[in-house]
Formats: sequence, C-alpha cells, structure tokens
Amino acid sequence: MKFSIQKDRLAAGIQDVLKAVSSRTTIPILTGIKIHASDEGITLTGSDSDISIESFIPSEEGEVLIATIEETGGVVLNARFFNEIVRKLPASTIEFETSSSFQTIIRSGHAEFSLNGQDADEYPHLPQIDDENVFKLPADLVKTLIRQTVFAVSTSETRPILTGVNWKIENGTLICTATDSHRLALRKTAAAGLPEGEYNVVIPGKSLTELSKILDDTNEPVEIVMTENQVLFRSKYVLFFSRLLDGNYPDTSRLIPDEHKTKIDLNTKEYLQAVDRASLLAREGRNNVIKMSSGDDGTVEISSNSPEIGKVTEQVNSLAAEGDELKISFSAKYMMDALKAIEGTEIEIQFTGAMRPFVIRPLHDDSTLQLILPVRTY
Amino acid sequence: MSNPWKEAEKRQPIVMRIIENSLLRDRVAHAYLLEGDPGTGKKETAMLFAKSLFCLEPEDEFMPCGACINCRRIEHGNHPDLHAIEPDGLSIKKEQIYYLQQEFIKTAVESVWKVYIVNQADKMTASAANSLLKFLEEPSANTVAFLLTEQSSRILPTILSRCQQLTFKPIDSDRLKQRLVEEEISIPMASLTSKLTNHLEEALEQSRDEWFALARSIVLKLYEGLKGGGLSAIVPLSEDFYSHFKEKQQVSLALDLFVLIHRDLLSIMTGEEHGLAFPDRLASFQQDALLLSAEKLADRMASILEAKRRLNSNMNQQLLMEQLLLKLQGGHAFV
Amino acid sequence: MEGFYPKNGRVILHIDANAFFASVEMAENPALKNKPVIIAGNPEERKGIVVAANYLCKDKGIYTTMALGEALKLVPEAVVIKPNHAIYKEYSKRIFAYLAEVSPLIEYASIDEAYLDITECAHLGSPIDIAMKIQQETVKRFDIPISIGIAPNKFLAKMASDMQKPLGLTVLRKRDVERVLWNKPVLDAHGIGEKTAAKLQAHGILTMGDLAKADVKKVQSIMGVRGVRMRDRVNGIDDRPVDPEANTSYKSIGNSATFPKNIIEPASIRVKLRMLSRAVSERMKQKKAVSRTIQVMIRYDDFKTITRSQTLQRDIQEEADLFAAAETLFFKHWNGEPVRLLGITAQNAVDKRMQTTQMDLFSFQEEADKLEPLFTTVEALKRKFGDSIIKKGWME
Repeated sequence: MKFSIQKDRLAAGIQDVLKAVSSRTTIPILTGIKIHASDEGITLTGSDSDISIESFIPSEEGEVLIATIEETGGVVLNARFFNEIVRKLPASTIEFETSSSFQTIIRSGHAEFSLNGQDADEYPHLPQIDDENVFKLPADLVKTLIRQTVFAVSTSETRPILTGVNWKIENGTLICTATDSHRLALRKTAAAGLPEGEYNVVIPGKSLTELSKILDDTNEPVEIVMTENQVLFRSKYVLFFSRLLDGNYPDTSRLIPDEHKTKIDLNTKEYLQAVDRASLLAREGRNNVIKMSSGDDGTVEISSNSPEIGKVTEQVNSLAAEGDELKISFSAKYMMDALKAIEGTEIEIQFTGAMRPFVIRPLHDDSTLQLILPVRTY
Repeated sequence: MSNPWKEAEKRQPIVMRIIENSLLRDRVAHAYLLEGDPGTGKKETAMLFAKSLFCLEPEDEFMPCGACINCRRIEHGNHPDLHAIEPDGLSIKKEQIYYLQQEFIKTAVESVWKVYIVNQADKMTASAANSLLKFLEEPSANTVAFLLTEQSSRILPTILSRCQQLTFKPIDSDRLKQRLVEEEISIPMASLTSKLTNHLEEALEQSRDEWFALARSIVLKLYEGLKGGGLSAIVPLSEDFYSHFKEKQQVSLALDLFVLIHRDLLSIMTGEEHGLAFPDRLASFQQDALLLSAEKLADRMASILEAKRRLNSNMNQQLLMEQLLLKLQGGHAFV
Repeated sequence: MEGFYPKNGRVILHIDANAFFASVEMAENPALKNKPVIIAGNPEERKGIVVAANYLCKDKGIYTTMALGEALKLVPEAVVIKPNHAIYKEYSKRIFAYLAEVSPLIEYASIDEAYLDITECAHLGSPIDIAMKIQQETVKRFDIPISIGIAPNKFLAKMASDMQKPLGLTVLRKRDVERVLWNKPVLDAHGIGEKTAAKLQAHGILTMGDLAKADVKKVQSIMGVRGVRMRDRVNGIDDRPVDPEANTSYKSIGNSATFPKNIIEPASIRVKLRMLSRAVSERMKQKKAVSRTIQVMIRYDDFKTITRSQTLQRDIQEEADLFAAAETLFFKHWNGEPVRLLGITAQNAVDKRMQTTQMDLFSFQEEADKLEPLFTTVEALKRKFGDSIIKKGWME
C-alpha cells in the first residue's frame, strides 16, 4: 500500500471512526484502525465489534484532488498512535507506505514515523452493501425515530432482548418499538423508500444512540441494509454497522389497548410542567410516583405526597375530557420521558382503568404512541 | 509442518475421536467440559475445535486447515466471534462472565458460530459460576462453550450436568519431558522428573527444587561409589546420603532414583537408548551394562523394590539402606 | 406537680419546627442568619418552586410551593439554596431522639412535626415547664427553633402550635375552643383541604363554629364519616392516641444467627439464609411492613464482619423474595471463608399501605383481572364513607 493524502481530510476521517474504537477490547486487532487504499480512495474502519464505523475519503472530489494512490492495499495501525501522529504532523499532506511485514512509514514534511502494523485481512469482515436490499430514509427521520423510542429500552439484563429497539418492516411501513416492560414507545412511518419485503430486527439501544450522534440533521437520504448479523446505515461518506440482538422480540401489539374508558386531551407543555412540579416532591419519595385524577366535570388534578417532606396538588386545565372518573398513579419520570418524546403541542391520553396501561398520543396523529403502566398503590 | 490435529489425535485419541464425530455428524453440543492434568492439551484442543467450526477449508470436512484467514485469526486471538477468558488474578470474576453474556446476547459479528473458552473454569467465583449457569441454562443457537479444568470435582454439579465431558488422559513421559524443556528445564533434569510424575506442575516444581538436584547427584555418586569395591569407599558417601535423606518419603524417593538407574541399565542392555532417566550418563551406563548380566540386574532391582516395601513397613531406615548397599555392592563382587 | 395535670384526660404536645429546612441551613451555616433564605428545587435555572423559606422571607409574603421566580421578585436579595434532604433527615432524627428522652410516647407526624404525650411526665414539672425546657434545649443543642402547642388532644395541640410561630408556646384547652377557634374559617382546621372547604362552603358551613354546630347527618352527607370526625374535633373532641408505631418510616426488621459450628458448604448456607428469610418475613407480616432494601451481614471465623445491601426494583415481604435477594447478595460478596454468623435485615421498611408496585406490561393482565373488582368496590366505599373507612389491612 502506498498513497499520499491531505492531512485535514484524513484527520476528519479518523475522528469519525475513532468513535467506534474501544480501549477495553479483548481482541488485539480492534485496538487499531484499518486503512484500506483502493483506486477510488481511502477507507478507514474502527470497531469495538458491537458497532463499526467506516469512513470513506474519495481520491477526488469534483475537481479537487484529495489523495493519490500509488499502490492499493491495507494495514491496521494502532488507533491511539495513528490519531496522535496524524494530528501532530507538520505538513498539509501525508505519505503512507507499507511493507510486506506491515511496517508502515508515515512521512510529512521532514518528519518520518515508522509504525508496526497488523494484517488488514485479520480485521473483522463487515457485510457488504448489496444494492438489491437497500432502502432509503431521510437522516432527520432516522434521528427522530431513534429519539422517540430509544429512551424506553430496558437497562436491566433480565430480558436482554428488551435492551434493543425492534425495527419491523411490513407492507411498506416501518414500526419501531422499545419497552422496558414498564413503559413502551412506538413510532410508525410509511415514508417513501421503505421496501415491500418483510424485515424484523432488534437493534441494541446503545448502537442507535451512537448512530444518532453521527447522523446530520438534514433530509439527506440514509441507505439502510439489514443482514442476518448486522444492520448498516450509510450516509454520504460514513458507514455505520451494528450487531443485532439475538432472539425474538415479544409481540407487544396485542398488549396495547385499542379501546378506552376515559379520554383526556391536554396541552403538552402545560401538562409536562405540572408533572415536573408534582415530581419535585415525589422524587424524594420512594418511587417518584404521582397521582392523577379526573372528575366528571373535566377537571384534572395532579398530586403527590411524601410523608417526610410534604405534598403538592395542582389543577390542570384539560382541553377536553370524556368517560369515567379516574384515579391513577404512575411514575412521573416515565410520563415526562414520554411527553418529551412526543411531537405536537396537544396530546390525548386514553385510560382503561387504574391497573391497565394507558396510551398517550399527539392529538390527531397516530404515528407516535407512548404507553405507560400505572403504579399500583395499596 | 506436522498437522496439529493429527498430533492431538496421537496424544488424546478418544477425545479427538469424539470431537471428530460431533463435527461430522453436525452434533456440536452447547457446552463441553475439558478435564485433565496440566499439559494434557486442553486449551490446544479447544482452539482446534474452534478452528474446525470457523475454518473456511477444513480437510476431510473437519480438520482445520490452519492457513485460512479464520484459522489464522483464531491463532492470533483476533477472531471477533471467539472469546477466551482466563482467571484475573486468583479467580474468574463475575464481570468477566458478564462480558461474555454481553457478547452472546448479540448476533455473531460475522459468522454463524459464537464460541467461548473459559480456562481454569474451577477458578470461577461463586457468583461468576451462578451467572454462567444461567447462561448455560438458556443457550442461544450456535453458541459453543468450552470450560477447561484440572478437577471437574470443583465445578458446580449444576454446570457439570449441562456439559458434555471430555476427559483427557494423563500426559506421557516423552510429552511431559518436551513440555519441561519448553519451560527451560535442562534435558537431564527434565528426563528424570518426567519419569517420576506425569503431572506438569509437579514435575516443574521438582525440576526447580535445589534439594532434588542435590538428591540426584548424591544418589548418582553413591551408585558410582558402589562400583569402587570395599565398604570403606562408600562410608563417606553414605554419610552424605543419610544427612540428605532424612524423612521416610525422602528415602523412598532415593530408592525410586536407584530403580530408575537400573531401568536405564536394562534399557541399554536391550538396545533401547531413548527415553533414559539419566541420558547424560549414557556413556558411563553403557560401560556398566557391559559388565552386568541380565540376572544380576534383575536381582538388584528386586532388592531395591524389596527395600522400598520394607521402608513402608516402618523398618529402621539406616539399617535398611546398609543392607541394600551391601546387596548392590555384592553385584560388583567380580570387579 | 400533679395538680397541673388533668385527673382523667391527657396532656399532648404538638412540636413543630417551623421553616425547618431553612432553620437547618442556618444552623449549618450561621452566616445565613439574619438573611432571607429560600430552599428551592433548581436555584441555578431559577425555575422550580419554593420548598421552604425562613421567616424573613415568609414575612414578605413568600410561601411554600410558590414559583421561585415570583419569590425572587418579592425578595430579590434572598439566598437560594438547593435542598439537602440527607442533612434535614439527620437533624430530624437527632431532634426526635431527644424528644423521645422526654417521653417515649412520641409520634412522628413528618420530618419536622411530632406529637408527644406527656400525661405521665409530672415528675419533670408542669406541662408548661416541660414545653419551655424543650424549646430551650432544641435551640441550645441543635440551633433549631420550634413552636409547641399544649392541649388535651392531638387536634387541639396541632391547632395551638400553629397559632404562634416561631418559638411560640400556646395552650389550648377544650373550654377555649369556642372563643379561639370557632370564628376561624373551616379551611384553617387541620385535616380540611381546599376541596372539602369548598364543599362545606357550598352548604353554608364557613367557620369552624358552623361546622361544630352543624347537623351530624348533614355533615355526613357532605363529607362522609370523616366529616363526623372533623365535627367532633372542632368541638374539642379527639381521642386518637399518640402512637409511636403510627409512622413506620425508617425501620429495620432483621434477624441474625450465630452458628455452633462454622459453615462453609453453599448448601448449608442456603438453608440458614432460608431460615432467616422466613423469620424476617414473618416479622414483616406481623408489622404489615414491606421493604426494598435488603442487607446481608456475614461474620467470618476471624470475626471480620461485612454488611452488604441491595435496593430492589420493588417492595418485598415474602420469604421467597427475601431469600432470593439475600442469596444473590451473599454469593456476590462471600470470600469463600467459613462463616460463623449470618444476618438478614429489611431496611427502611415501610407500612404496606405506603407500598407502590410498578406494574409490568407482560403481567398486568392477570393482576388487573384479579384485583380490579376489589379495587372498584373499595373506591365505591371510599366515595360513600370517606377515605379512611377501608384503608387498614384490606389487602391482607
């Protein structure tokens, strides 16, 4: 392998892939970054085996020459040293040359480093994009899908499958579901670009959080491929791979109530602030539990009581209310998480009883659904 | 280059046959317990098994080629779907098992199989063992565990019952000698200690023990002295002997060394000069063997074994040794 | 001294550390004295509500639950402090421990309020002597000012302590009720909230006097049996005892066993843990207590002792749950050495009535189907007869 490249472009690529490199790996080659030179350009890869990030630097961009490839090939260099060296090199271009024993010479200006490398073939083999199974979604939509669901994944190891978000594609609709068994977040989209085929994968919550940091807030398309072992997202020059969770995601659709006994419409912001205030005292208590009650006259009251500290009661104005009187207790944290995830200035909450899950939706929009299990009191 | 699978077959034919069958019949178990003395090749076997699972071009459909990228990565610890853990200090901690769990709730990175090797599995703390158990109870498909131990009796019975057991037969003395030499033990010492035990750790300890090195040279000097004729020649030597071998166990070891000297002589007589306990004495023993008849050699060995028997029945040690030395010297009466 | 005590009645003190959080902050940091102090949730962001304030603030119209922003408009120079509940609890514990020395008949009403029954304390002096002594001691020992109400029952004692703050000392006898209380609005009566007051007002009951004189049946129809009790109270009648067991917060229920022979076998350790779990569970059931913090104590042969605890997701009480938690803890922390003593403690046990259980998506169906009919009945009864009718032990 032999090439020269613009320093700032290489440094930017290294920053992208470093996000996936972990110093705590037990697999020696993963402490490195893989560098691969092809006629089209330079590909950098970093991985902690859970997630892998590839960054592509084209040899030419428009009229601008970024890299000159003299000899194709690859090598794996220690991530930490590689990063530090590149950042501190004096000139604006850097030359690389790797010998057959993976010894790599890095030259820039009058500085020359010789770094011991590893065989690029030994680096984990990532799935290739096969154009047939690619589908596309806008980057900002992908980010929204993640933001509205990922917070509800389980952090406990008792049911590992619940630590991920279920992405299910059926009849051209993508349904993202996350639950920690105490609350559930669901987001649907039938955006153009979704495939006709059926897909059903569970993506680790942590991976999605990382992906979200990488994607830009634009409507540029992201290419998505789901394989047996991995899911892959590609924006312009960056590829993000994540392993999947092994096993079947529970069928939650039958657990979401489709009827209600009480329905209350509220202003999202006012209600969120009231819940926040009530939780101020509840947080010091045992469960962060608040009570909500509604009268037959449409009044809604939120309260909480911690014997050692005090109590708080607040009347909330409802936009509309129908159905039975209601008294229910729930976690203020779950409610606030759900309200923050909902887009829309007005919401409706549908209850079916004090011991049954209730459902929060933006008013006149059924693409988002937040479900919370109540707290049983004695 | 020798084929490591074939080598392993020579040393552990039964274990390797079981593995071959499970590979060929597609009946790979979720968990194996590899039990055997140190140096019997448990870890090498687990690695070979793993290579067979991942190998891109297995020979006869089960023997790893050792050359493909997967075999190479396993050899270098770089395969992302193979995880090996060792005791961290004195024990295998719960966090290490947790790390494995984290790995195995996910799909494999690139292959079908997910393999983990737990070396010295008996060193798991109680909570680590309990975590591992949970995980063995609900194995995910295509996950294979190799638990390695020297003593299966120290593994939780609930774990044992979920593993297919592969029992490694004790190491033979040639192989043990080779392992000792690899550990930088001198050939004369390795040759001797590998005859006294088939336990690697024990042999290593003995080979590095100064008392034992001195014991070896005292016994050899005494044997040489016996050839000199006349009781007076061996008196100063036997004094050295008594001050070095005090305990009954120590005398017993001295007798074992005498047996080994005579077994070497017997081997040389029958033309078998490999596998001697005292290879550095070959030339001198060859001379001695020329002067000995088979009958006399048999008599001497009988006397040593008799002495060993009497030692165990609590006879006075000094008296016992004096009688023995006289008998052994008698063998040289013609000189 | 007995002359100061009634022959047949009781003497109850209600002790109230007014503006308690602010007092503690000033006790901890004397530089704050003579400055207006506000305790509020989120001082950095100027959001949140006033949790407590000292009298310099209260005098200027700042009240608890007021938005911090508004409060600062009234007293811009106020020092705003984030609540430190751990310290408040510590002070509370120490003050109550002192009060318990005066009389063991103490009932903790909240972090800064307690009832003390001193009927049998003639040996310490007259009720007023005792109350003054308590006021002096709490200032001297803890730098915390308190108000005390002295009365023949809990309701009047509470009403009395509210009359003069801070450092007030008020005696309220039954014969004073008509003169002192009856002209006050019902909302001022301890135990009547805004909702109830509004309901009573709708029926023309505006003052405590109106309530005292109202027809029993009418009161019952408005606010159930609770109303009948409130009517008694404003008439100066309240026979609720001062109950040291009433507030069950911060209790530990534990058992331990020393073994005649050290044990090391996991199987025998499990047997002992099970035995201890059973004992603790039985005691918890007796006390109707649940806990979510389980502690295990291990003493080794060399008397080295460790205690390790774990806080669970939910409250437990059953033997099997205690055992599961104790077993996990034990095997996580045991060093494998012989054990001579084992102990299991349910910490911060609370009254089962305080218990809450987060329901689960994958199991709510069964639970709801089983409990809903019962729950509905209870709600109906509560609505008819008032909240307290059916609280105790309905779920045993």
